[in-house]
Amino acid sequence: MASKNEKTRVRLLFYGLLLIGLQGFSALSIATETRPPEPRELIRAAMEHWRGVTSYSEMTMTIHRSDWERSFSMRAWTEGDKLSLVRVTAPKRDAGNGTLVQDQSMWTFSPKINRILKLPSSMMNQSWMGSDFSNKDISKSTDIIDQYDHRLLKTETVEDHLHYTIESIPHEEAAVVWGKEIVVIRDDFVMIRQEFWDQDGILVKEMAALQIESMDGRNIASRMRMHKLEATDEWTEMIVDDIDFDVEIASNLFTLSNLRNPRQ
Amino acid sequence: MAVFRLNFNTLLTLSWRNLWRNYRRTGIMLGAIAIGVWAMIFMTALMRGMVDDMLNQGIRNLPGHIQIQHPDFLDDPNVVNSIAEPSGELLLVLKQSGTKRWATRIKVAAVIASERETRGINLLGIEPDAEADISGLPALISEGRFLETNQDKGIVIGAKLAERLETRLGKRVVVMSQDPDNNLSERGFRIVGIYRAKMPGLEEFNVYTARDTLQQLLHIEGRVSQIILVDEDYREIEPLYEKISQATPPGLDTRTWYQIDSYLAAMFNMMDGFVLVWVVIIFLALSFGLVNTLVMAIFERIREIGLIQALGMRPALIVYQILLESLLLLLIGLAIGNSLAVATVKPLESGLDISIVAEGMAMMGVSSMLYPNLTLYDMVLANSVVIILGILTSILPAWRAASLDPVRALNTN
Repeated sequence: MASKNEKTRVRLLFYGLLLIGLQGFSALSIATETRPPEPRELIRAAMEHWRGVTSYSEMTMTIHRSDWERSFSMRAWTEGDKLSLVRVTAPKRDAGNGTLVQDQSMWTFSPKINRILKLPSSMMNQSWMGSDFSNKDISKSTDIIDQYDHRLLKTETVEDHLHYTIESIPHEEAAVVWGKEIVVIRDDFVMIRQEFWDQDGILVKEMAALQIESMDGRNIASRMRMHKLEATDEWTEMIVDDIDFDVEIASNLFTLSNLRNPRQ
Repeated sequence: MAVFRLNFNTLLTLSWRNLWRNYRRTGIMLGAIAIGVWAMIFMTALMRGMVDDMLNQGIRNLPGHIQIQHPDFLDDPNVVNSIAEPSGELLLVLKQSGTKRWATRIKVAAVIASERETRGINLLGIEPDAEADISGLPALISEGRFLETNQDKGIVIGAKLAERLETRLGKRVVVMSQDPDNNLSERGFRIVGIYRAKMPGLEEFNVYTARDTLQQLLHIEGRVSQIILVDEDYREIEPLYEKISQATPPGLDTRTWYQIDSYLAAMFNMMDGFVLVWVVIIFLALSFGLVNTLVMAIFERIREIGLIQALGMRPALIVYQILLESLLLLLIGLAIGNSLAVATVKPLESGLDISIVAEGMAMMGVSSMLYPNLTLYDMVLANSVVIILGILTSILPAWRAASLDPVRALNTN
């Protein structure tokens, strides 16, 4: 049914955000507060900040396997946390492939077959463009805040920043396969690490910020790596080459017709 | 009449003694008949057992003897093609009908995911109470428990699927499907039970949840995919079918198992033919031996036959005598063969383990235990075929013996 590469499912908002290359805020600082922050509010606050924010970014995605490696260049537009459009620009044979996300629905377009495909639920767990990200990771969802019980494990200071380690355990009926997730968030809302643990307490995969820098006035994780621990030599890296915030977004950008016939 | 009786008794004595003149040849022939009859009955019982099993399994997988569903459901088992839960007249008839059990169920294609694997499945929303009679599933639970109520929040999956998903009892899995508006509907379920199907193939595909829970997940409250009825005997469902199809509201499709699965129906209908062909084939092999024995017996007795003819025995009586000889041979052979067959089938009726070839059998829809089914019909059929055709094949040698010219016969060396 699913490809061998990526069959696990993940549903945390951060993924989608990371993928389109945005990460973190510097504006708000909880560090100054005396009382440790409510972990759920911490996650919610990170999400709330994306409301109404638009961005345009240029990224490179590198998929690494033991016997091969390939890179894609892509451009991405986002508006808030519900809409995003990603388009591949290089290599040539993949150029033009696009993915449109509207809330929980997801469409892909491939110029080779000149067709738009709405991803059915059966394909949501499959790999997105052969990477270690699943389609589910790309189409994000904010209701995930409410589907987990969050617990602040520890707060520590690393290089002048506070790092909050939050353990999130999904509710009994949540559509999440993981036993728990562990999220490390910096006080400026850059996500340092996200770990996915199975129900037997084994770490299955992990996404980590390898490099954090300030771009267009915001701190973001400019280099992220998704790594599966059970396959030591398999990972996918997203590098943000350039990003602009609060850009002008045409009203027809996040539409199916624009997915098929790019106008920008 | 008295004359005939006298003649008959004499003939019987003659035949009987002739039979044991060459006891070795007769013994071999008896052995051949006995083994032939044993093979007919024994193999037929096995075949019947296999086909019964196939039918039972097939009907359990459909499932049910009669199904009511949306007319498009069988061609397109989509959640859109659902029907309302039974109400009004249909509900009344369902409750009053002599049917053993009836239940509603939901059947949709879905995807199940664990931490490491994702697979396509056939998701069934069932009423756990009725399931024992419909699919026999509760008895197949190997670990954990079966679903308990229509609102049960758990999920029951096959052992093979659990293995493929690298998950096990007590762990959570996520099930995804689509609601009638094509929106993704998904939910986490805890595995409360694991079953082992008689046919390993099913374990991977059929996943069971409680009906009401699935209705909520798919946003189809009050609607189901099928109404399933199980009658006392799958062979006699016509009266129930009539009653139900009259009460079914227009726009719904009522079908019997043999209308739904024509392969099973063909299996069922062809079985009697199979048995007859099988019996006749064995008899054909047997008949050569029988004819040969009789021809040899007559060949040895040409002078003797010439003599009794010369003494005034009528040719018809010679025919009778030889036919009687053949009949006696057949009857003894049948008696041995039948007892042999009953003696071998009876101990096996508790089940014959054929798990060595289970994989191949499963492809045919047969489980790894074979329960031979010895029916009176098959025994009577085998015995009548042997006697009737046996006598018919004996007519030729008997007629040849009767038409011998006494003078020539007496002069044969």
